[in-house]
Amino acid sequence: MYEVYFENFNQKVPLTDSEQAQIKSFLSVKKLRKKQYLLQEGDVCKSIAFVEKGILRAYAINETGTEHIIQFALEGWTVSDLYSFLTGEQATYNIDALENAELVLISKTAHEELLQQVPKYETYIRLQMTNAYIALQKRLASTVSLSLEERYKIFTATYPDLIQRVPQHMIASYMGLTPETLSRIRRRITENK
Amino acid sequence: MRTKQTIAIIGASGTMGSAIAKSLCKGNYKLLLCSKEPGKIETLIHDIKSTNSLADVEISDCFKEACWEADIIIAAVPYASEQELAERIKEVANQKIVISIANPLNETYTGLITAADTSAAEELQKLLPHSKVIKAFNTTFAADFSTAVIDRKKIDAFIAGNDEDALETVSELVSTAGFNPVIAGVLSASRTLENTQLMLIQSTRKYNYNWLAAG
Repeated sequence: MYEVYFENFNQKVPLTDSEQAQIKSFLSVKKLRKKQYLLQEGDVCKSIAFVEKGILRAYAINETGTEHIIQFALEGWTVSDLYSFLTGEQATYNIDALENAELVLISKTAHEELLQQVPKYETYIRLQMTNAYIALQKRLASTVSLSLEERYKIFTATYPDLIQRVPQHMIASYMGLTPETLSRIRRRITENK
Repeated sequence: MRTKQTIAIIGASGTMGSAIAKSLCKGNYKLLLCSKEPGKIETLIHDIKSTNSLADVEISDCFKEACWEADIIIAAVPYASEQELAERIKEVANQKIVISIANPLNETYTGLITAADTSAAEELQKLLPHSKVIKAFNTTFAADFSTAVIDRKKIDAFIAGNDEDALETVSELVSTAGFNPVIAGVLSASRTLENTQLMLIQSTRKYNYNWLAAG
């Protein structure tokens, strides 16, 4: 139920049994079925979800009704509408499950309490935020400086699991491409091998 | 709230449990109905679907699984069963809203079996220290759910609890069920609410009222 969460936590910041028990008392577990929403835009994002099992995605819908996938979250990753979570404003993301999922949820109140009470939690969150920021910077840099083929190659090399488990049209949406363009890129990569 | 919430109703085949399930099926909820009498649940689901074909309701044969999946847990079980239930769901009920509807009446309905300085809801909170226990629906008789508006006024339904967010969520739920939610206070206000229901039951029996007295 919390195995992946604490495995991930202990890798970054080792915890004693009592620290782990203290943190666990603030967490909640939830199952989400495939296609079920964790959050719909317009609601306030009240929890950060850590994925124990399954895949979630966060997406936004633009004015013409097109979905843009912002993020995927596999086992060991977290997903939320961070802006809504931190400010209490309405969420602009929708988050749903692409496979049946098991989650660990950290509510805003639990998060604030943990930051105050458990210094190691603060360290863990700082490391998580730092890594997320680096990932974001890399993604931004690759978007502006690399060719589509290079971007796709890096993406598949970095997240081989995702390519296996997520339909191509969603990968296209994540990369900001139409499924046709992505399919052309994949063909070109195969031909050049 | 747009995001559909999942509610596990434990004891859904009982008089109160089934009345609650019927009243909530029109809301934006997925209902997971649990009971030790699966036959009765199937009839209940059939009844619900025949009046509301869009209702998102299903049977769940495992209390723990249902509570794991749920955002909100309704313990529609007698006070005497709360301890056993709490032990089974403790791990998956962490930080979740658990609604206590029980009135700890004695066998002859002449008094409460809880001590004067506590209540069924507070006892459940002790058993589930990291859950958000909320008292609700204990002053509404099962018959009120089908007649929640009397003399053009919605029946008041009292709620008590210690967590502001949880109280807000349960108020919304009580409203969906057709009642007028009134926050009575913190969880210890459950003592007054449970004693109120004792008084209502006693007067209903004494004066042969129609079991809608809570209005």
